[in-house]
Amino acid sequence: MSSLRTVRKISAFFWRDLAIARGYRGALVLETLEALFGVATYYYLSRFVQSPELARELPVGSSYFAFALVGFAFFDYLSVSIGAFDASLEEAHQNRTLEALLVTQTPLPVILAGSALYPFAALALRTCVYLAWGVLLFGFAPQSANWLGAVAILLASILAFAGLGVMSASYQILFKRGNPAKWVVLGVSGLVGGMMYPITVLPRPLQLLARIIPVTYSLEGMRAALLSGAGWREIWPSVAALLIFAAILLPLSFALFGWALRRTKITGTLTHI
Amino acid sequence: MSSPAIAVEALEKYFPPALSGWRAFVQPVARPTELALAGVSFTVGRGEAVALVGPNGAGKSTLLRILATLIIPTRGRAMLAGFDVERDAARARSQFGYHTGGDEGFYGRLSGRQNLAFFAAMNNITGADAKACIARVAEWMGICEELDRQVRTYSTGMTHRLGLARALLHSPSILLLDEPTRSLDPLAAADFRCQLKEELVRRRGTSLLFASHSLSEVEEIADRVVLIEAGRILACDTPRGLCASTGMATFESAIKQLARHPVPSEALQ
Repeated sequence: MSSLRTVRKISAFFWRDLAIARGYRGALVLETLEALFGVATYYYLSRFVQSPELARELPVGSSYFAFALVGFAFFDYLSVSIGAFDASLEEAHQNRTLEALLVTQTPLPVILAGSALYPFAALALRTCVYLAWGVLLFGFAPQSANWLGAVAILLASILAFAGLGVMSASYQILFKRGNPAKWVVLGVSGLVGGMMYPITVLPRPLQLLARIIPVTYSLEGMRAALLSGAGWREIWPSVAALLIFAAILLPLSFALFGWALRRTKITGTLTHI
Repeated sequence: MSSPAIAVEALEKYFPPALSGWRAFVQPVARPTELALAGVSFTVGRGEAVALVGPNGAGKSTLLRILATLIIPTRGRAMLAGFDVERDAARARSQFGYHTGGDEGFYGRLSGRQNLAFFAAMNNITGADAKACIARVAEWMGICEELDRQVRTYSTGMTHRLGLARALLHSPSILLLDEPTRSLDPLAAADFRCQLKEELVRRRGTSLLFASHSLSEVEEIADRVVLIEAGRILACDTPRGLCASTGMATFESAIKQLARHPVPSEALQ
Protein backbone atom coordinates (compact mmCIF):
# COMPACT_ATOMS: atom_id res chain seq x y z
CA MET A 1 0.00 0.00 0.00
CA SER A 2 2.68 2.48 1.00
CA SER A 3 4.84 1.60 -2.02
CA LEU A 4 1.80 2.14 -4.28
CA ARG A 5 1.33 5.54 -2.64
CA THR A 6 4.98 6.35 -3.24
CA VAL A 7 4.67 5.41 -6.92
CA ARG A 8 1.54 7.58 -7.20
CA LYS A 9 3.34 10.49 -5.58
CA ILE A 10 6.38 10.14 -7.81
CA SER A 11 4.14 9.97 -10.87
CA ALA A 12 2.34 13.12 -9.63
CA PHE A 13 5.70 14.89 -9.75
CA PHE A 14 6.26 13.64 -13.31
CA TRP A 15 2.87 14.89 -14.54
CA ARG A 16 3.39 18.19 -12.72
CA ASP A 17 6.73 18.75 -14.47
CA LEU A 18 5.38 17.61 -17.83
CA ALA A 19 2.47 20.05 -17.49
CA ILE A 20 4.89 22.86 -16.63
CA ALA A 21 7.20 21.93 -19.54
CA ARG A 22 4.23 22.04 -21.93
CA GLY A 23 3.93 25.70 -21.00
CA TYR A 24 7.40 26.27 -22.47
CA ARG A 25 7.10 24.63 -25.92
CA GLY A 26 9.48 27.13 -27.50
CA ALA A 27 12.25 26.02 -25.15
CA LEU A 28 11.81 22.42 -26.29
CA VAL A 29 12.34 23.42 -29.94
CA LEU A 30 15.39 25.53 -29.04
CA GLU A 31 16.93 22.67 -27.04
CA THR A 32 16.51 20.36 -30.04
CA LEU A 33 18.31 22.91 -32.21
CA GLU A 34 20.99 23.39 -29.56
CA ALA A 35 21.65 19.63 -29.72
CA LEU A 36 22.09 19.98 -33.49
CA PHE A 37 24.76 22.66 -33.00
CA GLY A 38 26.57 20.47 -30.47
CA VAL A 39 26.55 17.44 -32.76
CA ALA A 40 27.67 19.53 -35.76
CA THR A 41 30.59 20.94 -33.74
CA TYR A 42 31.84 17.43 -32.93
CA TYR A 43 31.37 16.34 -36.55
CA TYR A 44 33.60 19.11 -37.94
CA LEU A 45 36.09 18.69 -35.10
CA SER A 46 36.34 14.98 -35.93
CA ARG A 47 37.06 15.79 -39.60
CA PHE A 48 39.90 18.02 -38.46
CA VAL A 49 41.53 15.64 -35.99
CA GLN A 50 41.17 12.34 -37.88
CA SER A 51 44.59 10.64 -37.98
CA PRO A 52 46.03 7.08 -38.09
CA GLU A 53 47.29 7.47 -34.46
CA LEU A 54 43.85 8.38 -33.26
CA ALA A 55 42.21 5.60 -35.24
CA ARG A 56 44.40 3.05 -33.42
CA GLU A 57 43.04 4.20 -30.03
CA LEU A 58 39.38 4.11 -31.03
CA PRO A 59 37.01 1.14 -30.61
CA VAL A 60 37.16 -1.18 -33.63
CA GLY A 61 35.15 0.06 -36.59
CA SER A 62 34.24 3.45 -35.15
CA SER A 63 35.16 7.00 -36.17
CA TYR A 64 36.24 9.84 -33.91
CA PHE A 65 32.91 11.54 -34.58
CA ALA A 66 30.98 8.50 -33.26
CA PHE A 67 33.37 8.27 -30.29
CA ALA A 68 33.00 11.97 -29.40
CA LEU A 69 29.24 11.99 -30.01
CA VAL A 70 28.64 9.18 -27.51
CA GLY A 71 31.05 10.85 -25.06
CA PHE A 72 29.38 14.23 -25.43
CA ALA A 73 25.83 12.85 -25.12
CA PHE A 74 26.50 10.73 -22.04
CA PHE A 75 28.72 13.23 -20.27
CA ASP A 76 25.80 15.63 -20.64
CA TYR A 77 23.70 12.89 -19.04
CA LEU A 78 26.13 12.74 -16.10
CA SER A 79 26.25 16.49 -15.58
CA VAL A 80 22.49 16.99 -15.66
CA SER A 81 21.76 13.93 -13.52
CA ILE A 82 24.22 15.06 -10.84
CA GLY A 83 22.51 18.44 -10.82
CA ALA A 84 18.93 17.14 -11.09
CA PHE A 85 18.39 16.66 -7.36
CA ASP A 86 19.84 19.94 -6.16
CA ALA A 87 18.20 21.77 -9.09
CA SER A 88 14.84 20.45 -7.92
CA LEU A 89 15.57 21.67 -4.38
CA GLU A 90 16.74 25.05 -5.65
CA GLU A 91 13.66 25.42 -7.82
CA ALA A 92 11.40 24.57 -4.87
CA HIS A 93 13.29 27.14 -2.80
CA GLN A 94 12.89 29.79 -5.46
CA ASN A 95 9.21 29.30 -6.19
CA ARG A 96 8.62 28.87 -2.43
CA THR A 97 6.96 25.49 -2.79
CA LEU A 98 9.47 23.64 -0.60
CA GLU A 99 7.79 24.58 2.66
CA ALA A 100 4.36 23.66 1.27
CA LEU A 101 5.78 20.30 0.14
CA LEU A 102 7.52 19.59 3.43
CA VAL A 103 4.34 19.89 5.50
CA THR A 104 2.55 17.30 3.35
CA GLN A 105 2.57 13.59 4.10
CA THR A 106 5.41 13.02 1.64
CA PRO A 107 8.92 12.48 2.98
CA LEU A 108 11.74 14.57 1.51
CA PRO A 109 13.52 11.62 -0.17
CA VAL A 110 10.31 10.95 -2.15
CA ILE A 111 10.05 14.66 -3.00
CA LEU A 112 13.64 14.53 -4.19
CA ALA A 113 13.19 11.36 -6.24
CA GLY A 114 9.91 12.58 -7.71
CA SER A 115 11.37 15.94 -8.67
CA ALA A 116 14.30 14.25 -10.44
CA LEU A 117 12.14 11.84 -12.47
CA TYR A 118 11.11 14.28 -15.20
CA PRO A 119 14.62 15.73 -15.68
CA PHE A 120 15.99 12.18 -16.03
CA ALA A 121 13.31 11.27 -18.58
CA ALA A 122 13.79 14.53 -20.50
CA LEU A 123 17.51 13.92 -20.47
CA ALA A 124 17.11 10.43 -21.94
CA LEU A 125 15.04 12.01 -24.70
CA ARG A 126 17.70 14.67 -25.28
CA THR A 127 20.38 11.99 -25.57
CA CYS A 128 18.23 10.27 -28.21
CA VAL A 129 17.95 13.61 -30.02
CA TYR A 130 21.76 13.95 -30.06
CA LEU A 131 22.14 10.48 -31.53
CA ALA A 132 19.28 11.06 -33.99
CA TRP A 133 20.92 14.24 -35.34
CA GLY A 134 24.14 12.27 -35.74
CA VAL A 135 22.36 9.53 -37.70
CA LEU A 136 20.22 11.85 -39.83
CA LEU A 137 22.78 14.46 -40.84
CA PHE A 138 26.32 13.34 -40.08
CA GLY A 139 26.62 9.68 -40.94
CA PHE A 140 26.62 8.24 -37.43
CA ALA A 141 25.71 4.61 -38.14
CA PRO A 142 24.98 2.43 -35.12
CA GLN A 143 23.66 -0.49 -37.26
CA SER A 144 25.43 -3.13 -35.22
CA ALA A 145 24.53 -1.54 -31.88
CA ASN A 146 23.51 -3.69 -28.93
CA TRP A 147 20.53 -1.56 -27.89
CA LEU A 148 19.53 -3.74 -24.93
CA GLY A 149 23.10 -3.54 -23.68
CA ALA A 150 22.99 0.25 -24.06
CA VAL A 151 19.78 0.40 -21.99
CA ALA A 152 21.40 -1.76 -19.28
CA ILE A 153 24.40 0.58 -19.15
CA LEU A 154 22.08 3.59 -19.05
CA LEU A 155 20.03 2.21 -16.12
CA ALA A 156 23.15 1.22 -14.16
CA SER A 157 24.61 4.69 -14.88
CA ILE A 158 21.45 6.39 -13.60
CA LEU A 159 21.75 4.50 -10.29
CA ALA A 160 25.43 5.36 -9.89
CA PHE A 161 25.00 9.00 -10.94
CA ALA A 162 21.92 9.34 -8.67
CA GLY A 163 24.16 8.59 -5.68
CA LEU A 164 26.40 11.50 -6.68
CA GLY A 165 23.31 13.63 -7.31
CA VAL A 166 21.89 13.01 -3.82
CA MET A 167 25.29 13.89 -2.32
CA SER A 168 25.22 17.10 -4.29
CA ALA A 169 21.69 17.79 -2.98
CA SER A 170 22.98 17.27 0.59
CA TYR A 171 25.49 20.06 -0.02
CA GLN A 172 22.74 22.19 -1.54
CA ILE A 173 20.42 21.76 1.43
CA LEU A 174 23.21 22.65 3.88
CA PHE A 175 24.88 25.54 2.08
CA LYS A 176 22.16 26.61 -0.41
CA ARG A 177 24.30 27.50 -3.44
CA GLY A 178 27.70 27.40 -5.13
CA ASN A 179 28.06 23.64 -5.01
CA PRO A 180 31.82 22.94 -5.41
CA ALA A 181 31.41 19.16 -4.98
CA LYS A 182 29.40 19.03 -8.20
CA TRP A 183 32.03 20.93 -10.15
CA VAL A 184 34.85 18.80 -8.75
CA VAL A 185 33.04 15.62 -9.83
CA LEU A 186 32.25 17.07 -13.24
CA GLY A 187 35.74 18.54 -13.69
CA VAL A 188 37.51 15.30 -12.79
CA SER A 189 35.06 13.24 -14.85
CA GLY A 190 35.49 15.54 -17.84
CA LEU A 191 39.28 15.37 -17.61
CA VAL A 192 39.83 11.68 -17.00
CA GLY A 193 36.46 10.02 -17.76
CA GLY A 194 37.14 9.66 -21.49
CA MET A 195 34.55 12.03 -22.88
CA MET A 196 36.70 13.47 -25.71
CA TYR A 197 39.59 11.03 -25.87
CA PRO A 198 40.29 7.44 -24.81
CA ILE A 199 41.71 7.21 -21.29
CA THR A 200 44.69 5.29 -22.72
CA VAL A 201 46.17 8.63 -23.85
CA LEU A 202 46.33 9.83 -20.22
CA PRO A 203 49.38 9.48 -17.94
CA ARG A 204 49.32 6.41 -15.73
CA PRO A 205 48.20 8.20 -12.48
CA LEU A 206 45.25 9.79 -14.28
CA GLN A 207 44.33 6.43 -15.79
CA LEU A 208 44.17 5.04 -12.24
CA LEU A 209 42.00 7.98 -11.20
CA ALA A 210 39.73 7.27 -14.15
CA ARG A 211 39.16 3.76 -12.77
CA ILE A 212 37.59 5.07 -9.57
CA ILE A 213 34.91 7.27 -11.14
CA PRO A 214 31.65 5.88 -12.58
CA VAL A 215 31.56 7.93 -15.79
CA THR A 216 34.57 6.01 -17.18
CA TYR A 217 32.64 2.72 -17.00
CA SER A 218 29.49 4.37 -18.29
CA LEU A 219 31.25 5.72 -21.40
CA GLU A 220 33.23 2.53 -22.01
CA GLY A 221 30.11 0.39 -21.76
CA MET A 222 28.01 2.73 -23.86
CA ARG A 223 30.64 2.95 -26.61
CA ALA A 224 31.09 -0.81 -26.58
CA ALA A 225 27.31 -1.31 -26.90
CA LEU A 226 26.62 1.41 -29.48
CA LEU A 227 29.80 1.54 -31.55
CA SER A 228 31.21 -1.99 -31.47
CA GLY A 229 27.94 -3.87 -30.97
CA ALA A 230 29.59 -5.69 -28.08
CA GLY A 231 27.78 -8.64 -26.53
CA TRP A 232 26.79 -9.07 -22.87
CA ARG A 233 30.14 -10.65 -22.10
CA GLU A 234 32.01 -7.44 -23.00
CA ILE A 235 29.42 -5.10 -21.51
CA TRP A 236 28.97 -6.94 -18.22
CA PRO A 237 32.16 -5.64 -16.50
CA SER A 238 31.01 -2.03 -17.06
CA VAL A 239 27.49 -2.80 -15.77
CA ALA A 240 28.94 -4.58 -12.71
CA ALA A 241 31.31 -1.68 -11.95
CA LEU A 242 28.44 0.82 -12.19
CA LEU A 243 26.25 -1.33 -9.92
CA ILE A 244 29.07 -1.52 -7.36
CA PHE A 245 29.35 2.29 -7.46
CA ALA A 246 25.56 2.48 -6.98
CA ALA A 247 25.64 0.00 -4.08
CA ILE A 248 28.25 2.14 -2.31
CA LEU A 249 27.08 5.63 -3.28
CA LEU A 250 23.30 5.33 -2.86
CA PRO A 251 23.20 4.24 0.84
CA LEU A 252 26.04 6.63 1.64
CA SER A 253 24.34 9.53 -0.10
CA PHE A 254 20.96 8.88 1.57
CA ALA A 255 22.64 8.69 4.99
CA LEU A 256 24.41 11.98 4.23
CA PHE A 257 21.18 13.54 3.02
CA GLY A 258 19.34 12.40 6.18
CA TRP A 259 22.05 14.01 8.33
CA ALA A 260 21.99 17.23 6.29
CA LEU A 261 18.20 17.39 6.52
CA ARG A 262 18.25 16.99 10.29
CA ARG A 263 20.97 19.63 10.68
CA THR A 264 19.00 22.18 8.64
CA LYS A 265 15.90 21.49 10.72
CA ILE A 266 18.00 22.18 13.82
CA THR A 267 19.58 25.35 12.43
CA GLY A 268 16.21 26.47 11.04
CA THR A 269 17.64 27.00 7.56
CA LEU A 270 15.71 24.29 5.72
CA THR A 271 13.60 26.70 3.72
CA HIS A 272 16.12 29.55 3.53
CA ILE A 273 17.22 30.63 0.07
CA MET B 1 -10.63 12.64 29.07
CA SER B 2 -9.28 13.04 25.50
CA SER B 3 -5.79 14.44 24.98
CA PRO B 4 -5.52 18.06 23.83
CA ALA B 5 -5.21 18.76 20.11
CA ILE B 6 -1.91 20.56 20.69
CA ALA B 7 0.29 20.09 23.74
CA VAL B 8 3.49 22.10 24.07
CA GLU B 9 5.66 21.21 27.06
CA ALA B 10 8.70 23.22 28.18
CA LEU B 11 9.63 23.86 24.56
CA GLU B 12 13.03 25.48 24.05
CA LYS B 13 14.63 26.54 20.81
CA TYR B 14 18.07 28.00 20.27
CA PHE B 15 19.46 28.76 16.81
CA PRO B 16 23.16 28.91 15.94
CA PRO B 17 24.38 32.45 15.24
CA ALA B 18 24.36 33.44 11.56
CA LEU B 19 27.90 32.96 10.21
CA SER B 20 29.30 34.39 7.00
CA GLY B 21 32.35 33.89 4.74
CA TRP B 22 34.38 30.73 5.34
CA ARG B 23 32.82 30.33 8.80
CA ALA B 24 29.49 29.62 7.07
CA PHE B 25 30.85 26.11 6.39
CA VAL B 26 30.62 25.31 10.11
CA GLN B 27 27.10 26.76 10.38
CA PRO B 28 25.41 23.31 10.19
CA VAL B 29 27.34 22.12 13.26
CA ALA B 30 27.64 25.46 15.10
CA ARG B 31 26.52 25.57 18.72
CA PRO B 32 22.99 26.94 19.04
CA THR B 33 23.21 29.97 21.29
CA GLU B 34 20.55 32.39 20.03
CA LEU B 35 17.39 32.07 22.11
CA ALA B 36 14.09 31.83 20.22
CA LEU B 37 11.85 29.99 22.69
CA ALA B 38 12.50 29.62 26.43
CA GLY B 39 10.52 26.77 27.95
CA VAL B 40 7.12 27.49 26.42
CA SER B 41 4.17 25.38 27.66
CA PHE B 42 0.49 25.52 26.75
CA THR B 43 -2.29 23.39 25.29
CA VAL B 44 -4.99 23.87 22.68
CA GLY B 45 -8.16 21.87 23.22
CA ARG B 46 -10.11 20.11 20.50
CA GLY B 47 -12.30 22.61 18.70
CA GLU B 48 -10.58 25.54 20.39
CA ALA B 49 -9.15 28.63 18.68
CA VAL B 50 -5.96 29.98 20.26
CA ALA B 51 -4.06 33.06 19.10
CA LEU B 52 -0.34 33.70 19.42
CA VAL B 53 0.27 37.39 19.97
CA GLY B 54 3.55 39.23 20.38
CA PRO B 55 5.97 41.62 18.73
CA ASN B 56 8.14 40.72 15.73
CA GLY B 57 10.84 38.23 16.73
CA ALA B 58 8.90 37.05 19.78
CA GLY B 59 9.01 33.41 18.65
CA LYS B 60 5.47 32.98 17.25
CA SER B 61 6.55 31.80 13.79
CA THR B 62 9.31 29.60 15.26
CA LEU B 63 6.71 27.93 17.46
CA LEU B 64 4.36 27.36 14.51
CA ARG B 65 7.23 26.02 12.39
CA ILE B 66 8.22 23.57 15.14
CA LEU B 67 4.62 22.36 15.27
CA ALA B 68 4.63 22.11 11.46
CA THR B 69 7.73 19.81 11.70
CA LEU B 70 9.89 22.30 9.77
CA ILE B 71 12.19 22.95 12.73
CA ILE B 72 13.46 20.58 15.45
CA PRO B 73 13.24 21.95 19.00
CA THR B 74 16.34 22.09 21.21
CA ARG B 75 14.55 20.76 24.31
CA GLY B 76 11.02 19.99 25.43
CA ARG B 77 8.35 18.50 23.25
CA ALA B 78 5.28 19.30 21.21
CA MET B 79 2.44 16.94 20.38
CA LEU B 80 -0.23 17.23 17.72
CA ALA B 81 -3.24 14.99 18.36
CA GLY B 82 -0.97 12.85 20.52
CA PHE B 83 1.87 12.55 17.95
CA ASP B 84 5.28 13.95 18.84
CA VAL B 85 6.31 16.42 16.12
CA GLU B 86 9.95 15.34 16.32
CA ARG B 87 9.79 11.58 16.88
CA ASP B 88 6.57 10.86 14.99
CA ALA B 89 6.69 13.69 12.43
CA ALA B 90 5.08 11.73 9.59
CA ARG B 91 1.93 10.95 11.58
CA ALA B 92 1.88 14.43 13.09
CA ARG B 93 1.85 15.85 9.53
CA SER B 94 -1.34 13.96 8.72
CA GLN B 95 -3.10 15.88 11.52
CA PHE B 96 -2.56 19.51 10.55
CA GLY B 97 -2.90 22.01 7.75
CA TYR B 98 -0.32 24.82 7.69
CA HIS B 99 -0.52 28.13 5.92
CA THR B 100 1.37 31.40 6.14
CA GLY B 101 -0.10 34.72 5.08
CA GLY B 102 2.76 35.50 2.71
CA ASP B 103 2.48 32.11 1.04
CA GLU B 104 3.12 32.17 -2.69
CA GLY B 105 4.31 28.60 -2.96
CA PHE B 106 2.54 27.50 -6.12
CA TYR B 107 3.48 26.47 -9.64
CA GLY B 108 2.52 29.55 -11.62
CA ARG B 109 2.24 27.76 -14.97
CA LEU B 110 -0.29 25.28 -13.57
CA SER B 111 -3.92 26.06 -12.90
CA GLY B 112 -5.27 26.30 -9.37
CA ARG B 113 -6.96 22.93 -9.88
CA GLN B 114 -3.71 21.28 -11.08
CA ASN B 115 -1.86 22.73 -8.09
CA LEU B 116 -4.47 21.46 -5.65
CA ALA B 117 -4.52 18.04 -7.34
CA PHE B 118 -0.73 17.81 -6.98
CA PHE B 119 -0.77 18.74 -3.29
CA ALA B 120 -3.73 16.40 -2.72
CA ALA B 121 -1.60 13.57 -4.14
CA MET B 122 1.19 14.57 -1.74
CA ASN B 123 -1.36 14.06 1.06
CA ASN B 124 -2.37 10.62 -0.23
CA ILE B 125 -5.61 11.84 -1.84
CA THR B 126 -5.98 10.80 -5.47
CA GLY B 127 -8.61 10.13 -8.15
CA ALA B 128 -12.28 10.77 -7.35
CA ASP B 129 -11.48 11.55 -3.70
CA ALA B 130 -9.10 14.31 -4.79
CA LYS B 131 -11.72 15.81 -7.14
CA ALA B 132 -14.30 15.83 -4.34
CA CYS B 133 -11.84 17.40 -1.87
CA ILE B 134 -10.82 20.09 -4.37
CA ALA B 135 -14.46 20.92 -5.14
CA ARG B 136 -15.24 21.14 -1.41
CA VAL B 137 -12.35 23.44 -0.42
CA ALA B 138 -12.70 25.56 -3.57
CA GLU B 139 -16.35 26.18 -2.80
CA TRP B 140 -15.53 26.97 0.79
CA MET B 141 -12.84 29.47 -0.20
CA GLY B 142 -14.95 30.93 -3.03
CA ILE B 143 -12.48 30.17 -5.81
CA CYS B 144 -14.52 27.72 -7.95
CA GLU B 145 -14.74 30.18 -10.88
CA GLU B 146 -10.98 30.78 -10.95
CA LEU B 147 -9.81 27.23 -10.45
CA ASP B 148 -8.94 26.50 -14.10
CA ARG B 149 -6.86 29.65 -14.62
CA GLN B 150 -3.07 29.58 -14.33
CA VAL B 151 -2.00 30.61 -10.82
CA ARG B 152 0.37 33.29 -12.21
CA THR B 153 -2.74 35.24 -13.25
CA TYR B 154 -4.20 35.22 -9.73
CA SER B 155 -4.34 38.31 -7.52
CA THR B 156 -2.53 38.20 -4.15
CA GLY B 157 -5.79 37.62 -2.32
CA MET B 158 -6.77 34.83 -4.68
CA THR B 159 -3.38 33.12 -4.23
CA HIS B 160 -3.88 33.44 -0.50
CA ARG B 161 -7.29 31.74 -0.69
CA LEU B 162 -5.73 28.99 -2.77
CA GLY B 163 -3.11 28.53 -0.03
CA LEU B 164 -5.80 28.17 2.58
CA ALA B 165 -7.66 25.73 0.33
CA ARG B 166 -4.46 23.70 0.09
CA ALA B 167 -4.09 23.64 3.89
CA LEU B 168 -7.64 22.29 4.21
CA LEU B 169 -7.45 19.66 1.43
CA HIS B 170 -6.95 16.67 3.70
CA SER B 171 -9.54 17.81 6.27
CA PRO B 172 -6.99 18.31 9.05
CA SER B 173 -8.16 18.26 12.66
CA ILE B 174 -5.68 21.04 13.47
CA LEU B 175 -5.01 24.23 11.55
CA LEU B 176 -1.77 26.19 12.03
CA LEU B 177 -1.92 29.66 10.49
CA ASP B 178 0.75 32.32 10.50
CA GLU B 179 -0.83 35.76 9.96
CA PRO B 180 -3.72 34.26 7.99
CA THR B 181 -5.26 37.53 6.74
CA ARG B 182 -2.04 39.43 6.03
CA SER B 183 -2.58 39.88 2.29
CA LEU B 184 -6.39 39.92 2.19
CA ASP B 185 -8.42 43.04 1.59
CA PRO B 186 -10.57 44.13 4.60
CA LEU B 187 -13.81 42.64 3.26
CA ALA B 188 -12.19 39.34 2.31
CA ALA B 189 -10.43 39.24 5.68
CA ALA B 190 -13.69 39.78 7.57
CA ASP B 191 -15.37 37.10 5.48
CA PHE B 192 -12.47 34.75 6.07
CA ARG B 193 -12.48 35.32 9.86
CA CYS B 194 -16.18 34.57 10.01
CA GLN B 195 -15.79 31.35 8.01
CA LEU B 196 -12.78 30.30 10.05
CA LYS B 197 -14.56 30.73 13.35
CA GLU B 198 -18.08 29.57 12.45
CA GLU B 199 -17.46 26.89 9.84
CA LEU B 200 -14.14 25.38 10.80
CA VAL B 201 -13.89 25.82 14.55
CA ARG B 202 -17.52 25.84 15.67
CA ARG B 203 -19.18 23.48 13.16
CA ARG B 204 -16.37 21.10 12.27
CA GLY B 205 -14.51 21.16 15.57
CA THR B 206 -11.14 21.98 14.00
CA SER B 207 -8.54 23.16 16.50
CA LEU B 208 -6.93 26.40 15.46
CA LEU B 209 -3.61 27.93 16.48
CA PHE B 210 -2.79 31.14 14.68
CA ALA B 211 -0.34 34.01 14.96
CA SER B 212 -1.59 37.50 14.25
CA HIS B 213 -0.62 41.12 14.65
CA SER B 214 -4.22 42.26 14.38
CA LEU B 215 -5.70 42.47 17.87
CA SER B 216 -9.24 42.93 16.55
CA GLU B 217 -8.82 39.73 14.55
CA VAL B 218 -7.54 37.94 17.64
CA GLU B 219 -10.42 39.18 19.74
CA GLU B 220 -12.91 38.08 17.07
CA ILE B 221 -11.56 34.57 16.50
CA ALA B 222 -9.63 33.40 19.57
CA ASP B 223 -11.10 31.59 22.55
CA ARG B 224 -7.77 32.07 24.29
CA VAL B 225 -4.70 34.21 23.71
CA VAL B 226 -1.05 33.30 24.31
CA LEU B 227 1.03 36.46 24.63
CA ILE B 228 4.69 35.80 23.80
CA GLU B 229 7.67 38.11 24.07
CA ALA B 230 11.35 37.21 23.64
CA GLY B 231 10.51 33.51 23.57
CA ARG B 232 8.60 33.55 26.85
CA ILE B 233 4.87 33.37 27.54
CA LEU B 234 3.75 36.53 29.31
CA ALA B 235 0.09 35.61 29.59
CA CYS B 236 -2.36 32.90 28.54
CA ASP B 237 -6.08 33.49 29.01
CA THR B 238 -9.33 34.36 27.28
CA PRO B 239 -9.54 37.92 25.90
CA ARG B 240 -12.09 38.70 28.59
CA GLY B 241 -9.90 37.08 31.25
CA LEU B 242 -6.95 39.20 30.17
CA CYS B 243 -9.07 42.35 30.46
CA ALA B 244 -10.27 41.28 33.93
CA SER B 245 -6.81 40.37 35.22
CA THR B 246 -5.33 43.70 34.10
CA GLY B 247 -8.36 45.81 35.02
CA MET B 248 -8.46 47.23 31.49
CA ALA B 249 -11.61 48.03 29.57
CA THR B 250 -10.40 46.89 26.15
CA PHE B 251 -8.46 43.90 24.89
CA GLU B 252 -5.91 46.13 23.18
CA SER B 253 -5.11 48.05 26.37
CA ALA B 254 -4.92 44.75 28.30
CA ILE B 255 -2.29 43.44 25.88
CA LYS B 256 -0.33 46.70 26.11
CA GLN B 257 -0.48 46.55 29.91
CA LEU B 258 0.72 42.91 29.96
CA ALA B 259 3.57 43.66 27.59
CA ARG B 260 4.75 46.41 29.96
CA HIS B 261 4.11 44.51 33.21
CA PRO B 262 4.30 40.79 32.52
CA VAL B 263 2.60 38.30 34.85
CA PRO B 264 5.23 36.32 36.88
CA SER B 265 5.85 32.92 35.29
CA GLU B 266 4.74 31.06 38.49
CA ALA B 267 1.36 32.73 38.19
CA LEU B 268 0.95 31.29 34.66
CA GLN B 269 1.39 27.74 35.95
